[in-house]
Amino acid sequence: MNHNTQNQQQDYAELYVLGLLSAPERTAFEAKLRDDITLQKQVNDFQNQMLSISDQLPVEPLSQPLGARIERSLDALEQQQRQNIVKQTNKNSIWDSLNLWRGFALAGFFTSILLSVQLLQNTQSVETKTTYIAVLVEPQNKAPGWVIQAGQNNKIELIPLGAVEIPEGKALQFWTKADGWNAPVSLGLVKKGQSLQINIEDLPPLQPNQLFELTLEDENGSATGKPTGPIYSIGRGKPAI
Amino acid sequence: MSESLFDYEAALLACASGHRKSLNDLYQQESQRLMAVVYRILQNRALAEEIVHDAFLKIWTQSVNYRPELGSARGWIYTLTRNLALNALQKNQRQVQADPEFLTDLLDNLQNQDEDKTLVSQPEQHLEQQSLHNCIEQLNDNSKQCILHAYIDGYTQDEIATLMDTPLGTVKTWIRRSLQALKECLQ
Repeated sequence: MNHNTQNQQQDYAELYVLGLLSAPERTAFEAKLRDDITLQKQVNDFQNQMLSISDQLPVEPLSQPLGARIERSLDALEQQQRQNIVKQTNKNSIWDSLNLWRGFALAGFFTSILLSVQLLQNTQSVETKTTYIAVLVEPQNKAPGWVIQAGQNNKIELIPLGAVEIPEGKALQFWTKADGWNAPVSLGLVKKGQSLQINIEDLPPLQPNQLFELTLEDENGSATGKPTGPIYSIGRGKPAI
Repeated sequence: MSESLFDYEAALLACASGHRKSLNDLYQQESQRLMAVVYRILQNRALAEEIVHDAFLKIWTQSVNYRPELGSARGWIYTLTRNLALNALQKNQRQVQADPEFLTDLLDNLQNQDEDKTLVSQPEQHLEQQSLHNCIEQLNDNSKQCILHAYIDGYTQDEIATLMDTPLGTVKTWIRRSLQALKECLQ
């Protein structure tokens, strides 16, 4: 980028912060701003410098209930996001009866587990044997959402039982914690529409009653290295036989 | 807590991780100042509170997009909030009025603070922030009024031209020259 373009870009960033761009200029600038980290930095830093002046304005007290109203709005927002996830998961339903479909899902699920175990028992001589299994359910309605199986090949497989909708900019992070561990260990991020296979050679052997959960995190995973977002699905594992 | 001690960046990153307490801390720290900025622009208390409410929801939902590489976290918060206020202005009329003394008093306050603070050591960040308002202080009166009417009052270039009884072209020239002068002063 040449010097003149850089200068012009900085002028636009400053006019934007001052609120002096016309409506079409502002729309065009914001479109450019979205993908330009350098420009965003110029805007935020110039804004911060200008704040030394607006900080001289006398502070304005807010009505007491505004903080509480913001809390209520956040509750409503989170509730809406949860409903959207459930709605999107069920968007292909013929009927809206959640109980009906939950019943079918449970019945179908347990049948499939039974058949899978029988199939595995019958074919164990030629295929890798499943030695450990867990079912993850949604914490609110207990609907089964994922199944985990591990075999003698030192791999855990996480398999979705239905369509998975992950909100924009978010990801599902897979965690496990056995009794006696200090903190959960991340097993990775779940990509949309894919099952997840994880090598567990570096982990201690899977234990009965070991906890597995999926939490909704930032798309790059939890920044703290521990689960921070809402629990999407949770369950405990046990040996398959 | 003074704005130089509060860790805005950490607060935004914690909000992105879903920590409601951090948003609450940010509200305690900044809501009255945000209200001051928004109220000054909108001149309507109920509408200004509405914008502050919307700003905190947006801070919460958009915090996942903030990264330290994007510059000042406090600047990010105010850019987001001021945009909401400026958008609301397009739908809501407010009276445009000249109050040149009020605006120049804001700069005078800063100058006085600077003089008081020369006796004690200052964090580097504050010294950096001082330079911009010092540079604005050095602009001629007309240019200074243009910048402050725009930033503090949220007036458009047309409104500033009407208010200062000056052709729009002249106002645009003053603003262009002001930005150039600020750039040279800050270098």
